[in-house]
Amino acid sequence: MNESLLNIKDLKTYYFTAEGTVKAVDGVHLTINKEEVLGLVGESGCGKSTVALSIMRLIRDPGKIVGGEIWFEGENLLSKSEAEMRKIRGGRIAVIFQNPMSSMNPVFTVGSQIAEAIKLHQDAQKHEIKEKIVEILDKVGIPSPSERMEDYPHEYSGGMLQRAMIAMALSCNPKLLIADEPTTNLDVTIQAQILELMRAVRKEFDASILLIGHDLGVISELCDRVAVMYAGKLVEHTDSTTIFKEPKHPYTQALLKSIPRLDVETERLLIIPGTVPRLINPSPGCRFHPRCEYAKEICSKEDPPLIEIGQGHSVACFLYGSIDKPNHKHR
Amino acid sequence: MSETLLEVTNLRKYFPIMGGVLLRQVASIHAVDGVSFSVKLGETLGLVGESGCGKTTLARVILRLIPYTAGAVRYGGHEIFKLSEKEMRKLRLEMAMVFQNPYGSLNPRMTIADSVGEPMDIHGLAKGAEKEKRIMELVEKVGLAPFHIYRYPHEFSGGQKQRIGIARALAGNPKLLVADEPVSSLDVSVRAQILNLLKDLQEELGFTYLYISHDLSTVKHMCDRVAVMYLGKFVELGSVKEVYNNPLHPYTEALMSAIPIPGRRREDRIILKGTVPTPIDPPPGCRFNPRCQYGEPMCKKEDPEFIEVKKGHFVACHLRK
Repeated sequence: MNESLLNIKDLKTYYFTAEGTVKAVDGVHLTINKEEVLGLVGESGCGKSTVALSIMRLIRDPGKIVGGEIWFEGENLLSKSEAEMRKIRGGRIAVIFQNPMSSMNPVFTVGSQIAEAIKLHQDAQKHEIKEKIVEILDKVGIPSPSERMEDYPHEYSGGMLQRAMIAMALSCNPKLLIADEPTTNLDVTIQAQILELMRAVRKEFDASILLIGHDLGVISELCDRVAVMYAGKLVEHTDSTTIFKEPKHPYTQALLKSIPRLDVETERLLIIPGTVPRLINPSPGCRFHPRCEYAKEICSKEDPPLIEIGQGHSVACFLYGSIDKPNHKHR
Repeated sequence: MSETLLEVTNLRKYFPIMGGVLLRQVASIHAVDGVSFSVKLGETLGLVGESGCGKTTLARVILRLIPYTAGAVRYGGHEIFKLSEKEMRKLRLEMAMVFQNPYGSLNPRMTIADSVGEPMDIHGLAKGAEKEKRIMELVEKVGLAPFHIYRYPHEFSGGQKQRIGIARALAGNPKLLVADEPVSSLDVSVRAQILNLLKDLQEELGFTYLYISHDLSTVKHMCDRVAVMYLGKFVELGSVKEVYNNPLHPYTEALMSAIPIPGRRREDRIILKGTVPTPIDPPPGCRFNPRCQYGEPMCKKEDPEFIEVKKGHFVACHLRK
């Protein structure tokens, strides 16, 4: 169970824009074990989607992976040729994107788009492909799949289309499924359906899942472990119970207290002052220090390394240990 | 406190669908279909529902930003739909709106001073130095610095833009503030800033909110009472405490159980079948019946009435009579 499937070491992905270099991902270490669901949390622009695109080697100009290694099943993906990558993409690693409406081609039927994925990665006869599509659509809960596979994307609702996307991703039995905000565009009741489906998928296909999102509720529904990103850096990494019960990084702590919750009464929400920093020439030191209420002198000078402070619990903060009992002022 | 500020009676809004060679009306979208409620002075009423349920349309009709189809809206003694354009314009001073998308609701070619000052020009509230002073006061009230007012919208972050949107809404000293998903396009860590600001302003200036959102957690945090909308109709209305702890409508129940809670894995959730049907030809009987977890034969035939089952707790369901 604890065998690692994907191992990211010191990944650096920068975008070279006219305004300057955007360090979207700046030295991220991440491990996903077999059959595990890892949640990658962060606000918009923190680099979580860039991590996903880097794994798939889908970073386009002006972006570039400038350093690090990505080990997947014993091979470094960063040293693969484009042709080799093409075999891996959609085969052993599949992605589900945020917006199912724009991820499908509107002029082809849903069935033919799934068939394309199967043809690329598997040796299958025509009739076998059809059987496979029907089977997989049925598994993700599309009613009367043999008829619905002939439909075009616009004939599906948002939730159905996301199911079809999941079917497409699963059609080649991937080892790793990357889900980038899979429920963000969906209504609450549809989101519940998709979460239920993802759970079932996990049981049946025993694939590892990298779930990217900003909704901490969704993350805790599905994940075994959680990694929190802030401004291109990993700030905390632990199992999904600890992250909510005993968060260590000031950002994680503040984030958890700043969201209104259904299960707790809060009169005032905690405010994290300021906004997420721009990633063009970020200020030296910890990227969170301008907004951090515990910031010390060292925080503005040196970049805190990610240190293990407990069983499988890592934090990148100079204060760890001394902020066990945070005393937040509710401003 | 118990004075009624806004009273909506059996309000309907249908959008026609034109079709055929002659572009005649072939059908209509029942966006708001018979909604009645009232809002008391100084309270916050939350309006929740999934996308397309008609919550934004309802707000727009109430403010008379789009024409109504049937029904009545009374606001502080005025029959809104009976007022002339001129009278309505005057009344708009008291009713302001904060929009969902701060990127789209500010004119990129107007400075903040122009945007926030525009309502003052239109209504002739202030001029020259006095106007500038007022703009600065407003901008400071929402947490920005006075020197910000000569800048353009692109120089601000999303959260700051939303603050500007709020400052503009405050320009006419409104009594009723309609906030349509004011935080849903903002980053998680910035949302709390705006939510706290809205609460502080209410305490300070004492206005009434109609708070529209699909996010049940924020509504619980912000509101005194909450109305749940489904396909153009209210299915439940009551105090936040009542509705969240003791939801009576099957839809509310499912909605409550569907919200993921950080740090917990919910095993008790009710998964609804299918999706929201189109409001063009809403299903006969109770509109929720095709997805209802309890559904009985009579639900398919008769539309349930919106009745008060407990003091102040209304529900439209045959099972709760």
